[in-house]
Parts: sequence; structure tokens; C-alpha cells
Amino acid sequence: MSENISDVIIIGAGVAGLSTAMQLAKRGASVRVLEREQIGNGSTGRAAGLLGQLRGTSEHTRMLMDGVKIVKELEELADVEIYVQTGSVRVAETPERAREITDLVKIGRSIEFDIDHITIDELAERMPHMHTDDLIEACWCPTDGHLQPSELALAYHKVGKAHGVAYQTNCPVTGVLLDGDKVTGVQTSQGDFHAPIIVNAAGPWSYLVADLAGTTLPNAALGHVYLTTQPNPDHPVDRLSPGFRNRHHRIYGRPENGGLLVGIYGEDCPEYDMDTLPVDFDMSAMKARLDDIHLAMLIHSAQQRFPWINERTPMHVTTGIMTFTPDGRPFCGQLPGHEGLYHCTGFSGHGIVQSPVIGVIMSELILDGKSSYDIESIEADRYWEVPGFQDRVEIKERCYKMQGSYYGRVEGEISGTS
Amino acid sequence: MKILVPCKRVPDPDQKPRLNADGSNIDDVAVSFILNPFDAIAVEEALRIREVAHPDTEIVAVGICPVDGEAELRTALAMGADRALLVEHAGMSDPWNVARLLAAVVEREQPGLVLMGKQAVDDDSNQTGQFLAALLNWPQATFASQLEFFDGGLRVHRETDLGIEIIRVTLPAVVTADLRLNEPRYASLPSILKAKKKSIEHTTPAELGVALEPRVQLLSMEVVNSQRQCEQVSNAADLLARLREAEVIE
Repeated sequence: MSENISDVIIIGAGVAGLSTAMQLAKRGASVRVLEREQIGNGSTGRAAGLLGQLRGTSEHTRMLMDGVKIVKELEELADVEIYVQTGSVRVAETPERAREITDLVKIGRSIEFDIDHITIDELAERMPHMHTDDLIEACWCPTDGHLQPSELALAYHKVGKAHGVAYQTNCPVTGVLLDGDKVTGVQTSQGDFHAPIIVNAAGPWSYLVADLAGTTLPNAALGHVYLTTQPNPDHPVDRLSPGFRNRHHRIYGRPENGGLLVGIYGEDCPEYDMDTLPVDFDMSAMKARLDDIHLAMLIHSAQQRFPWINERTPMHVTTGIMTFTPDGRPFCGQLPGHEGLYHCTGFSGHGIVQSPVIGVIMSELILDGKSSYDIESIEADRYWEVPGFQDRVEIKERCYKMQGSYYGRVEGEISGTS
Repeated sequence: MKILVPCKRVPDPDQKPRLNADGSNIDDVAVSFILNPFDAIAVEEALRIREVAHPDTEIVAVGICPVDGEAELRTALAMGADRALLVEHAGMSDPWNVARLLAAVVEREQPGLVLMGKQAVDDDSNQTGQFLAALLNWPQATFASQLEFFDGGLRVHRETDLGIEIIRVTLPAVVTADLRLNEPRYASLPSILKAKKKSIEHTTPAELGVALEPRVQLLSMEVVNSQRQCEQVSNAADLLARLREAEVIE
């Protein structure tokens, strides 16, 4: 690749951009990744990485299962452990939530995904640190687990580099160059770069990148918080103890470094206008206040399922920003009127686990013009003609509602199963 | 017993500060504030005293800040302080004048102990506690890393450059908290909600009978540029070579 010309420019070195870069380079494209800060330092660096492969549609489940295969290859190539197969449980304390689990088991079995009911006794044995007395239903997915986000980012970077990807850090994009309705490059703090294809993988900043190109991407930047307890000899958490989802209390979690990681999809969350944050805003420096209400809600909810957790438990608190869409599914592909500008963003809290296959899908869209997966539900232009989705206030409102309903609503056959 | 905990609001040290237009100070419109972390440690210690040694303790948080600067006092209330007092003052306040205001508050509140951070993480002065003890003619125990009630007084472990110094002070006293005194708790949901409803009493330097007499003048402020430049190295040998190149090691 010559100094400032490549086949593809990717904006954003989180897992979405890194995975796309790696897959494109593997197929021979010359790729430059531009990152405003450091590699994997945005949402990627703050993610929990929970892998729940069973989704609302069989196609989404297939994507995640294929993603695991890609991760296993990556582990070999990069010599790192990414996938931690702990298995996962879902637990229910109300008849409504119990039905949800029964439906999921049915869906899972119909597509030959490994899932089964387990008794509460079995659950208590698998998760001695969990309060199980009030539970009435649970299911077990042995092939689930979590992906370690920084190891994954590192592996994408390493393999991408071996295939010639150029990575430019501390390089915020300040403009998108257009020739009519075709993109031709970007302006950055380090000069102009040219390419006929630009991938907008800027996560929470992605709607601002769309703004720079004069188009509208209907996603929003929402805050998220999880806690990680320090190892506690009275409540040991085995490193292979199952990941869990407890939708009634809106919490999820997994083992981490001898402690327990617990996060929440609460009814409300902080909203961010990324354009009002300082240009050198560093997500990894975000910290929760001692009286942060969202953290307090998280601790309160975590305590319902893990009574040994309270506000005085020694813990590390992680806060960050996620990119949500109005339906919780990502935007992958082009929008009308901007040829060559591909969006790859809006993973709504599931970017880590979707990234392996998203890289494949993006490279197929860019190099073949179509994907081998059925991507109708994640196409970038699905809201293009829906009234209200060119308006930021409306967009934010819809995305905010989506986040709030994530664990709030009861799962149906078609909706996502986060 | 009553414990007075001075609570300073400071610009969030994790966010990069901006200067105002004439470069004379930090732009406090663009900045987000937090409770000075050392003061949070002092609040936590007061809570522990109430929980363990003296259940009848009343904890009073006091802040000296602009009239709209209640948020960080609410943090102290949410952690568990009983009430809060805000001394309205906008603009520069040097440690001497802060100590004089606090001395007037002590005069009014008559606490048995003033527990405060050893310093604020914005100006790093580390003077207010000492000034206050001198003004009150009270004993002082600075850089406290452990406190215990002992024989009607306090036994305090102090972190010094030579090691841990253990001293005994009679009460009333001024104690300033060091980093290792404790780890402050997060506020619980009920106490955050309760703290929101509490009214914060406001007063002014004039009401306290203090005429401020600035002795320190801030001339100018500049931001030190500390842009990180990271590069990935491929292995340890590469790292060593790069460090030699940069003359960090020989």
C-alpha cells in the first residue's frame, strides 16, 4: 500500500473494525485502520464479553456458533486464550420468566443447539455462590462462555498485521472526502488518507462519522456499568463457573479473576452526546462516582441474587459507553446516497461476541457485494425510510427505550435474547 | 460525639481539565466535579466510627463552594453523613482562608473531632488541616492510616517517610486522612434516594463572621501536555532495544 492510499480505510480499532480489517486483509485487500486513541481502548476495552449463542433467530445463533469456530482458529494463530468455555445458565423466579426459559429450550433444540433444563439443585451445585432458594426454573448451555475482549482485540491485531494491515493510532478522523455520492477518503489529524471504501466502525462515535459524511446513522451512545468483586475466600468463584443471565433482576455475569463480574441492563442509563465530550476523551479513564445511582441499582440487583455482594464489598467498577440501535441489532452495510461508505456499528452490548463473524460478513459485503449469511435483520439501511429516523432526538429516544427493554420485556420467539 | 468532615469538591482527576479563555484558571463550567478522594476517605472513617466505636455519633459534612455546588455534599450524605452545611463562596480560596472558615464552623458546631482529607487532589496544598488545628489550638494528627479510640483520646498511625509513627492525641482534635486509612464505600440505593431529599443548610462567610483575606494569589495556570504515544512492540528483546534507543536504560 502506498503511503496514504489503500483499498479500504477502517475508522475505529475496536473489535468490529479489527475483525473486518483482518478478514479483508486475509483476502488480499490493502487495509488501513485509523484509531482516534489506542487499539481496543473504547467500548472493546470495557466489555464483559459474555457469549450467549442462543439468539431469537436461528440465523443469529448460526452466526455466533460460527464465530466460536473463528475464535478457535484465532487462538491457534495468535497463541492466546480468548474463549473461556464455562457454559451458561439462565435462571427464573417467576412463572412468566420460567416460560421464557421453556421457550428458549424449545427454540434451541429445534436448531440443534446444546441446551437443557436443569434442576435448581443442580444449579446450586454448579453455582454455590448464587442464591437459588427463590428460583423455579433454570436452563444450561454447556457450549456458552465468554470471550476475553482484550485478548480477542490483540489476536485480530496480530493476525491482521501479519496480513499487512496498517494501524494508525492517535489519529482521529476529522472529515470524510466525497466525490459526488462516492467516498474517496478521510481527513485526519495526521493528514488525508484515500480509499474507495471506508468502513465506519467507530462505535459510539459512529453517528458523528456519519454526520461528517452528511448522512444519518440512527444509533445512540448509552452508558453501562458492571462490577467485579475481588476474590473472597468465603464465596469463591471458580474460573470455570457458568456465566449467568437473570432477566428478572436485569443482571448478567461471569467469573473474573477469582471474583464475580455482574452487569446490569437497567431501566434507565446515562446518555452521551459524543460531540460534547472533549476531543481527547478517554473512555478507559471513566469512573463511577461514589453515589452513582446506576451503580447503586446494579449493586442492589446483584445483591438479590448474590446476597454476599453489597456496597462495601471490595470491588472494581467498570463504566463505559455502548452503541445502541433502536432494535438492538447492529448496522452493517451502506446507506443510500453514499457509495463506498460501509457502516459496522451499533452492537448494543454484544459487539465482542458478534465481531468474529461480523468481520466475515463485512469482508463479503465489500469484496463480493453480498454475504453468505442472511443479513436482512442487520442491514444498515433498514430504518432509512422509517419516519423519525433522521432525527437525533427521536433516534436517541428509541435507542434508550430499547436498552431499557433489553431485559425488561419477556422474550418472544422473534425478539433478540440478549 | 459529633464529627465534622470538611468535603471539598475537586475537578474529576480522571478527566483532562480545560483552562478558561484568559488562562487564569481551570474552566469550571466544562469540568465535572467529584468529592475529593481523601475527603471521601475521611467520610468513610467517620461512618466506621459511628458503626463500630460510637453509635451515637453525628456526622456533619461541610463544603465551601459556590451556591450550586451541593452535589459533592450529597455524595457525603449518600454515603451516610447525617447532615451537610454549605458555606457559599465563589472564586479562589486559599488554605488559610478555608481554615479560618472551618474554624468558624467548628466554633458553631462544636464537634469533638474534625476528620478531613490530608489534601485535595486539585491544588495538593496539604495545609488546611494543619492551619485549622493551629487556629483552634487543637492537637493534630496528619497522614492518618489507622485510627483507634484509646483512653478518651485517639491513637493514630501516621504514614511518614521513615515508617509508621504512632501518636496519641487528646480530643477534640484535627485528623487528616491518608490513602490507606480505608476504602470508601459506594452509596446504597436507599441512601442515595434519602440523600436527595435532605436539605442542605447554607451559610456565608459573613454569617460566620469571617472576612476573607486572600494571602495567595493565583497568577496563571497552564496545562501540561502529556499526550501518550503508544506503539506495539513484538517481543521483550524489541522492547529492550527500544528502551535503549530512548536512553531509558543502558
